Amino acid sequence: MNIELKTLCEIRDIRGEAGNFQVEIVQNPRYIDESKCIACGACAEKCPKKVKDPYNMGLSQRKSVYVEYAQAVPLKYAIDANTCIYLQKKKCGACKKICPTGAVDFDQKPETVMLNVGSVILSPGFAPFNPEKFDNYQYAKYPNVVTSLEFERILSASGPTMGHVSRISDHQSPKKIAWFQCVGSRDMNKCDHSYCSSVCCMYAIKEAVIAKEHEGDSLDCAIFFMDMRTHGKEFERFYDSARNKHGIRFIRSRVHTITQIPETDDLEVRYITEAGDLKTEVFNMIVLSIGMETSPEVVSLAKRLGIALTPGNFCETSSFEPVSTSRAGVYVSGSFQGPKDIPQAVIDSSAAASACGEILSAARNTLTKVPEIVPETDIAGERPRIGVFVCRCGINIAGVVDVPSVAEYAKTLPFVEFTSDNLYSCSQDNQDSITQLIKEKNLNRIVVAACTPKTHEPLFQETLISAGLNKYLFEMANIRNHDSWVHKSTPELATQKAKDLVRSAVAKVALTQPLKEAELQVNQTALVIGGGISGMAAAGSLARQGYHTHIVEKSAQLGGQALNLFQTAKGERIQEKLSELIASVAQNSRIQVHLNTTLGQVNGFVGNFKTTLSTTGSEQVVEHGIAVIATGASPHVPTEYDYGKDRRIITSLELDKKLMEKDESLKSLAAAVFIQCVGSREPERLYCSRVCCTHSIDNALELKEKNPDMNVYILYRDIRTYGEREYLYKKAREKGVIFIRYSLDNKPQVVRNNGKLVVKVTDHILGRPMELETELITLATAIIPNRDEKLASFFKVPLNADGFFVERHAKLGPSEFATDGVFLCGTAHYPKPIDESIVQGKAAASRAVTLLARENIHTSGTIAEVVPTVCSSCGVCVSICPYSAPSFIEATARFNPGKAQINPVLCKGCGLCVASCRSGAIRLKGFDNDQIFAQIFALNEAV
Amino acid sequence: MSNANPVIGSVLVVGGGIAGMQSALDLANSGYYVYLLEKSPSIGGVMSQLDKTFPTNDCAM
Amino acid sequence: MTEFEPKIVSFLCNWCSYGAADLAGVGRMEYPSNIRVIRIPCTGRMSPKFFLSALSEGADAVWVSG
Repeated sequence: MNIELKTLCEIRDIRGEAGNFQVEIVQNPRYIDESKCIACGACAEKCPKKVKDPYNMGLSQRKSVYVEYAQAVPLKYAIDANTCIYLQKKKCGACKKICPTGAVDFDQKPETVMLNVGSVILSPGFAPFNPEKFDNYQYAKYPNVVTSLEFERILSASGPTMGHVSRISDHQSPKKIAWFQCVGSRDMNKCDHSYCSSVCCMYAIKEAVIAKEHEGDSLDCAIFFMDMRTHGKEFERFYDSARNKHGIRFIRSRVHTITQIPETDDLEVRYITEAGDLKTEVFNMIVLSIGMETSPEVVSLAKRLGIALTPGNFCETSSFEPVSTSRAGVYVSGSFQGPKDIPQAVIDSSAAASACGEILSAARNTLTKVPEIVPETDIAGERPRIGVFVCRCGINIAGVVDVPSVAEYAKTLPFVEFTSDNLYSCSQDNQDSITQLIKEKNLNRIVVAACTPKTHEPLFQETLISAGLNKYLFEMANIRNHDSWVHKSTPELATQKAKDLVRSAVAKVALTQPLKEAELQVNQTALVIGGGISGMAAAGSLARQGYHTHIVEKSAQLGGQALNLFQTAKGERIQEKLSELIASVAQNSRIQVHLNTTLGQVNGFVGNFKTTLSTTGSEQVVEHGIAVIATGASPHVPTEYDYGKDRRIITSLELDKKLMEKDESLKSLAAAVFIQCVGSREPERLYCSRVCCTHSIDNALELKEKNPDMNVYILYRDIRTYGEREYLYKKAREKGVIFIRYSLDNKPQVVRNNGKLVVKVTDHILGRPMELETELITLATAIIPNRDEKLASFFKVPLNADGFFVERHAKLGPSEFATDGVFLCGTAHYPKPIDESIVQGKAAASRAVTLLARENIHTSGTIAEVVPTVCSSCGVCVSICPYSAPSFIEATARFNPGKAQINPVLCKGCGLCVASCRSGAIRLKGFDNDQIFAQIFALNEAV
Repeated sequence: MSNANPVIGSVLVVGGGIAGMQSALDLANSGYYVYLLEKSPSIGGVMSQLDKTFPTNDCAM
Repeated sequence: MTEFEPKIVSFLCNWCSYGAADLAGVGRMEYPSNIRVIRIPCTGRMSPKFFLSALSEGADAVWVSG
C-alpha cells in the first residue's frame, strides 16, 4: 500500500537537492481508465487491429488494445496509440462499445505531474542488443537466425510456440542448434561495445539445456564462444553438467559468416577449430547471444539529469560507493550500473534502498499510510452464519455459469444465512455492501465465489477486518479462473462445477475458527558477524539508518581480507579507502566493535536473539533482533607449482603486498608469469573464484607500468573479466601482456634448475610446448570458504557442497537466509570483489531494516501447532522443517518436557511437518484435517 | 546526522524491472512512501520475458 | 450407455500449481470440467489420508500437483 505504481510515465527533470527533490514526470495516456478496467479482455477480443507482440519479440501478434502478458501488474489493458485505428483515423472504437464498465477513454492526454521526493533510484534497465546491423550473421535476412531473447520466448510455455522448439521459417523442430556468443559484446569493430555483458554465457548454456529437455537428447546443441564465463555461484557446476551430462558441445571459435542453404533454410557455418582446421557445419537454427546495452533514451536521460556515464554508457560509480551516482541523493541499481545477472541486480537494488534510507531515516514513516484498526467481534460459541457472495464478473462468469442459480443453490447449504449475486464482487461499492451485510445479518463467516484467492483474497479479507470479523473466517470459490474461463463450451457442466466448488468452500468455512496472529516485538539492535569490508558496510548502513549495531571480529583489527589488497579494478587504492571506512565505523556512536571476539552460543529467533560473545576469556550476552553473517572467506594455500619452495613463487595477495610496499625489486624483473585458476575450477573445487582474472590482469598492468620492457605472461583457462572489467583485459593485450591458454589436463609446469625458474606450457595457438624463463611466478589462488559449521548450526542456516552459505533464493533472495532474521553478505556467500562485497553488505542491511522497521512482527494465523499429549518426540518435524520452526521443549521443562513445539514466528504454514508427523500430533490451523476432509466429503455429491 | 532542512520521506524509483521492484519493496517495508515509475503499461521488465533462470532453472515468472 | 467420465479430485499447491490453474484460465485454455480443486498450502501438507478419503468418497482419480 505504500508503493504507488506510475505506469506509462517518464521522468523529465529532477530539481532540488538530496533529501528534497522536485521531479517532473510525464504521464502518458493509457486510454483506459485504470479504476474502471476489470481486465475482462472483451476489448482485445473485439479489437480488429493486429500488431506484432513486442512481449514475444514480434514472433506473435497481439491486438492494439492489450495487456503485456497474463500476469501483468497492474492487470489493466492499455491502448497502443501508434496502431489504434481510432486514435490514428478516428474510426472504429469497437473497444469502447464493448467495454462493460465504460473504461475506454480516447480523450486522455499526456499530463505533467510533479512529485516531491527525498531521493531517487535509477533502475531503467538495459536494452537487448539489436544485431540487425551485423551483416555477417544476417539476422535481418535469415528467418532461422534468432536472438537469444526470441529463443527465450520460443522456450516459454506462454510464448508463441507454447514452448515447442520450432523454426521460424517452417515451424519444423530443429535437430541442430548453434549459439553464437558475444554478439554485441566484447566487440569494438562492429558495435563499439568492448565490455562483456556478463550473462550471455550462462543464459546460452541454460537455453541449450532447456531446449534439450524439451526436444529430447537427440537435439544437438553447440555453443561457439571465446571465453566461457561461468563465474557466479553454482555456475561452474552448471557448465560442467551441460558438457558432461547433457552433452552440449562447446566450441572455442568465433564464427564469421553464415550462409543460408536455399532449399532447406538451414544455415551453413564455417569456423576454425582450436587445432586450426577450417570446418563447415550445417545447423537448422542459430541463436545469437545478444548482449546488453544502455538505450539511447536512458543515455539522454542521464545527460539531462547530470549523471556521469562510463565509456560503455553505464552509470559511473566508485567501488566504495557502488550505488551512488555522480549526483548526490540519486542512486543507481540493476543493469544500468553495469551489465549483470538477476541476483546481482537484486543485491544492488536492496543496497540502493539502504543508501536512500541512510539519508532519509529522519523522515521514516512520515508519509507512509497505516491501516485503521477496527476491534474484532468475538464469535466464540456462535453457530456458523455464512454469507455467500457469488460474482458475475461482468460476463466473465455470468456469460458461462448460471450465477443466479448458483446463488440460489448456496442458500440450501448448511449454515448459509444469506446469499447474493453481484456484478463485480471486487468493486468498492460491493465491499461497503458486504461490510454492511455482515453487521446487519450478523454473518460470522463469508464465502466469495468469484475469481482466484491468489489475487483477491487479501482484498476481501480487508473487508472482513473493516467489518470487525477475523480475516480467517473467509473462503473463496474459484468459479472464474478454474471454471467459467476454462469450460466455456459446456455451460451446464460449468454451472454444476461452480455449485460443487461453492459447496466445498461452505463446508470448509463452517469449520473455520478465528485465528490469532501473535505479535512479537523486534529488538532494535543488530549483530554483524565479521568485521571485513562487507560486514563494515552492513554495520555502517544499519547505524546510519538509526540502528544500534554490534560488530564481532575474531581478529585484532577490522578490515578482513581487504587489508591484503592493493587496488580495485577501477584503479582505486584500497588501503586509503579502507582506513576511512574503518575510521567511520570506529567513530560511529551507534556501532560497538568487539575485536578478538567469537560467538559462544546463540539462543532465540528472529526479533529476539541472545548471543554470547567470548572476548579473550570474558563473556558477554548481547540481545539483538537480527544477525548479519559476513564471516568472509580465506585465500587458498597452494601445494602445487612448487609454492613455498622458492621465494620467487608467490600468491596474488603476496604480490599485492609487494606492490603496497613499493618493492623496488619488481622494477628490475625481466619476466613475470601469472598462473590462473590455482585451486579453482578443479574437480574437488568446482567453482570459479570470480576475482582472480581481473586481479592478475590488473597486477600485470601494474608491472608493465613499472617496467614496460618486462615480459609478462598470463597462463589462463578462460579469461573472466566480466562487465566493464573487460577494458582491463583489452588494455593488457594492447600493452603487450601475453596470454597463453592451458587446459586442466595439460597444466603448466614449474621447473627450477640451477637457480633458474622456468614455466613449461603448451601454447594454444601453435600447439607447441614453450619454456618461459622468469623471475616471478604469481599464483592466482582460489578464494576458499571458511565452512563454518558451528555458525551455521547456531543460526540454523545451510552450507553448500563447497562450504559457502546458502542464501534464501539464488535469484531473488541473495542477501538473506530462509531462516527469518538472519542475513548474508560478502565472500561468505561467494567469492566477490570489493565493490560487490560492499554492495551486498548494504543489501543485507536493507533486508534487515525491512524487518527492524516493523518493530513488531505479526505471525501468520495459518501455522502449525503441536498437540503435546499426542507427540511421541520422534523429531521428524524438527529435522524436516525448512524454516527451523519446530524444536524440542527442554527436558527439564515443567510442562511437556521433550515434546516438540513450533515457533509461530518461524512457521510458514507449509504443512510439511503435519503430513510427516507419524503420530498425527501436528495440526495446521486454517488447513486443518477436518477442514480438508470436509471439502473432500462435500465433493462426494459431485464425484 | 543533523539536517537544517527537513528531508522528505518518499523515494522515486525509476524503472519497474526486477531491480526497481526490489528497491521499491525494500523501501516501502522500511517506512518510506515509494513512487515506482515505469514507461510501459506494466511492471516486470525483461525478466518477465525470460523462460527459466540459471543456474537453478527456476521459472522466471 | 454414456461414455465414462472420470471424476477427479485435485490437490494443488497454493504457490505453484494452483496459480498455474489460474493462468490456464487467464489464457482461456479449455479443458474438461471433471476436475474439482482443493487448495493446499504446499504439497508438503498432502497426507495419504486425503487420497484414501477422496477415493472412498467416489473419486476415480486423485491428482496432486505442486
